Amino acid sequence: MEIIEKIKINKSIDNQTEIQKICLDKLQSSPLPNPRSEQWRLSNKSKLTNFLDYSVNENNSKFDIPYPKNSQSTIRLIIGENCQSKLIEKNYSIQQLSEDELKKYIKEQISFFNQNENWSDLLNLSLSCKNNILGFKINGSKIPPIEIFSHASSNSLSAKTLIIFLEKNCNVELLQVNLGEDNSSLSQSTFFCLEENSSLNHGVVSYGLNKSNLLNSLNVIQQKNSEYNLGSLHFKFNYARFEIRIKQSEGNAKTNIKGMQITKKDEQISTYTKIDFDGPNGFLDQINKSLADDKSHAIFEGSIIVPKIAQKTDASQLSRNLLLSNLAQIDTKPQLEIIADDVKCKHGATISQLNEEELFYMRTRGITLTEASKLQLSSYFQEIISFIPVSKDRWDLLDKLLNEN
Amino acid sequence: MVNENLVKDVVKEPYKYGFVTDIETEKIAKGLNEDIVRLISQKKEEPKFLLDFRIKAFKKWQKMKEPDWATLGYKEIDYQDIIYYSAPKQKEKISSLDEVDPKLLETFDKLGIPLTEQKKLTNVAVDAVFDSVSIATTFREELAEHGVIFCSISEAVKNHADLIEKYLGTVVPASDNYFAALNSAVFSDGSFVYIPKGVNCPMDLSSYFRINSGDSGQFERTLIIAEESSSVSYLEGCTAPMFDTNTLHAAVVELIALDDASIKYSTVQNWYAGDEEGIGGIFNFVTKRGKCLGKRSKISWSQVETGSAITWKYPSCLLLGEESVGEFYSVALTNNLQQADTGTKMIHIGPKTKSTIVSKGISAGKSKNSYRGLVKMGRKATGSRNYSQCDSMLIGDQASANTFPYIKSQQPNSEIEHEASTCRISEDQLFYLQSRGIEFEEAVSMMVSGFCRDVFNQLPMEFAAEADKLLALKLEGSVG
Repeated sequence: MEIIEKIKINKSIDNQTEIQKICLDKLQSSPLPNPRSEQWRLSNKSKLTNFLDYSVNENNSKFDIPYPKNSQSTIRLIIGENCQSKLIEKNYSIQQLSEDELKKYIKEQISFFNQNENWSDLLNLSLSCKNNILGFKINGSKIPPIEIFSHASSNSLSAKTLIIFLEKNCNVELLQVNLGEDNSSLSQSTFFCLEENSSLNHGVVSYGLNKSNLLNSLNVIQQKNSEYNLGSLHFKFNYARFEIRIKQSEGNAKTNIKGMQITKKDEQISTYTKIDFDGPNGFLDQINKSLADDKSHAIFEGSIIVPKIAQKTDASQLSRNLLLSNLAQIDTKPQLEIIADDVKCKHGATISQLNEEELFYMRTRGITLTEASKLQLSSYFQEIISFIPVSKDRWDLLDKLLNEN
Repeated sequence: MVNENLVKDVVKEPYKYGFVTDIETEKIAKGLNEDIVRLISQKKEEPKFLLDFRIKAFKKWQKMKEPDWATLGYKEIDYQDIIYYSAPKQKEKISSLDEVDPKLLETFDKLGIPLTEQKKLTNVAVDAVFDSVSIATTFREELAEHGVIFCSISEAVKNHADLIEKYLGTVVPASDNYFAALNSAVFSDGSFVYIPKGVNCPMDLSSYFRINSGDSGQFERTLIIAEESSSVSYLEGCTAPMFDTNTLHAAVVELIALDDASIKYSTVQNWYAGDEEGIGGIFNFVTKRGKCLGKRSKISWSQVETGSAITWKYPSCLLLGEESVGEFYSVALTNNLQQADTGTKMIHIGPKTKSTIVSKGISAGKSKNSYRGLVKMGRKATGSRNYSQCDSMLIGDQASANTFPYIKSQQPNSEIEHEASTCRISEDQLFYLQSRGIEFEEAVSMMVSGFCRDVFNQLPMEFAAEADKLLALKLEGSVG
């Protein structure tokens, strides 16, 4: 773990920025997360070590975008490549955040960080160089869809950071794509701040190649009357960890999350979510699906926190899991922590394999077992994929998933 | 509109078992070391294997750390400030109940436990444990006719040492956890039940645990063995006096069910919970586990947890035998500053095993009530099933209800279903009941009772009535 050794002696980065300094200081005393803590106890230690085995690469190489651009109106950004963007049109503006604005916001966020819970963010911010931080604020209306790519090249570790402020009353569709090449590690931290009455349809597709690793963290603050919809899909990573932290800072906000992770071979993909309701009348509808095959391991841990102030919260969380092999395993832990009494909160979890009765029904009608399984899987996948914005018409994720199954 | 204060008043209820029995007791010095462990063993005239078991457990305990993962906050326990053995002084050997100290009989009478001959009509055999020792076991002769052994564990050590040596610590090993290790080192008494092959125990068996002294801990150990095709229903009740200090209770219960055997274990736990400011009360750290060893064996836990300042308890089932069944039905009511972290573990190891979990938590006052459960499907548990349901009810906006279900599956041909919900007492339903002339207090009580119905239905008759009454009492207050 070259990186950790360097962090310990504080020599990981030359020309450290102020933010990097703060994060490195925080990491120095305990550079690795506590493997016995709830957030990390199931994480495969050797895979995490492997993640940290590559040296940091601040330069970005070219890569192929996995699907064609739809129209001129789509805004396509690649973190690390074209960070200098400023778009001011008649109806809307997308403006880069100034260095001071960035610094102020990140510093504020760091002050709330917990060493274990936000370890991925601390690592990201201590390794992410100036060029790999993309921050902008969006306002206006009729904003075209936005696509943002993060990419890690072979035999290296890349750290990319994305910060977006959605100003009052604006609606945005945004697709974030994380791509990992063979033998690579990608650390991606994303921070969103949704102001009053804004809405964001956010898609996250993380697609890795052989022996690629990913630490993907997503921090969202929702002000009142904002709406945040997330559709996510993680697959083909040797080791991937998706951390979602959402805070409804004043309540009265809506959050919808539909996520899926698919693991094969000896991969481990996990999703950790924490939803904080810091005000009344919050709404959450969350579904997380996992599919584990071969010798793989899929993990979901979701917590919903409803303090006394969050009266009339309506939250539901569902974890649905398909276990397809004798050697695979699934861990799931949906949890509720509630103090307010006038709330509706529920969660559910299921683990099973494909429904045998449905398979039998289809086979009696002449559909082969393989086809019948595919049909069942496609309906299982479709619910999530149709929720991922921007890409759904052009990137045939469903085909990709089914044909590789 | 529900008046919050009214509901709060309703859930206040004084503890009616808080009296102290003034009886001469034999106590040993405070503190815990190897000599104390030897002294306890010596006082109980135990064979060498048991002393070795205790010493080994004590050594393990010394190396262990108190667990801190539960969402419980309590002041540090000083293990050297506890008396590990306390027994009421009585004549050397009791041959009949008439020789039991009348003060003790009176105590159990006050608690509503029928020990005296004339009250033995309820057809429940009772083993009464007072502080560290068992003082009486009723209906022994009748049970012996069927070959059923029901006695205190100290007696079993003397008379059935082979069974104790064979089974003690096989379900909950001494090194299982911090409190189990402590119990294994210093356990003083408890109950022992052995149901021979093919016998359906003719009556319900019951243990009644009473803590009387404020400075001694209670460490009882229960071992139940059900041989092939046998069945037994076992009930357990607990109370303690009111003290300003916290008393430690660390028990271990081990159940073993062989082929086609069934054990039903029901608990109504009503230890003293401390006062409204959270002063005093029992710290209840209990390890209960059942092993379904045989094919088609069944272990069913039902519990009503209303007492204790701190409850840390996870009655579990190890489902090893093919087609074995585990069940867990629980109601946990917390009030004032009580904290409960309770749930179950269902470990599916054998094929075609089934488990059901129904947990109802009610939190009132400033209390904390958490469900923590584990369902695990091992690689060989093909065709196994689990269904879990955890409902929480919150009364007042200062209480908290948490749900932490850990679900792990390594077997594709198995199914796990879990659901949980949280709600409050519905204003509409309260209004409906009140508009039909039902008093507010009774309406709340009816709704709580209805909320717990799934669990109460699983309790034996005597206990169901007691549990219902207990909850109603807890909810009875100054309204009206």
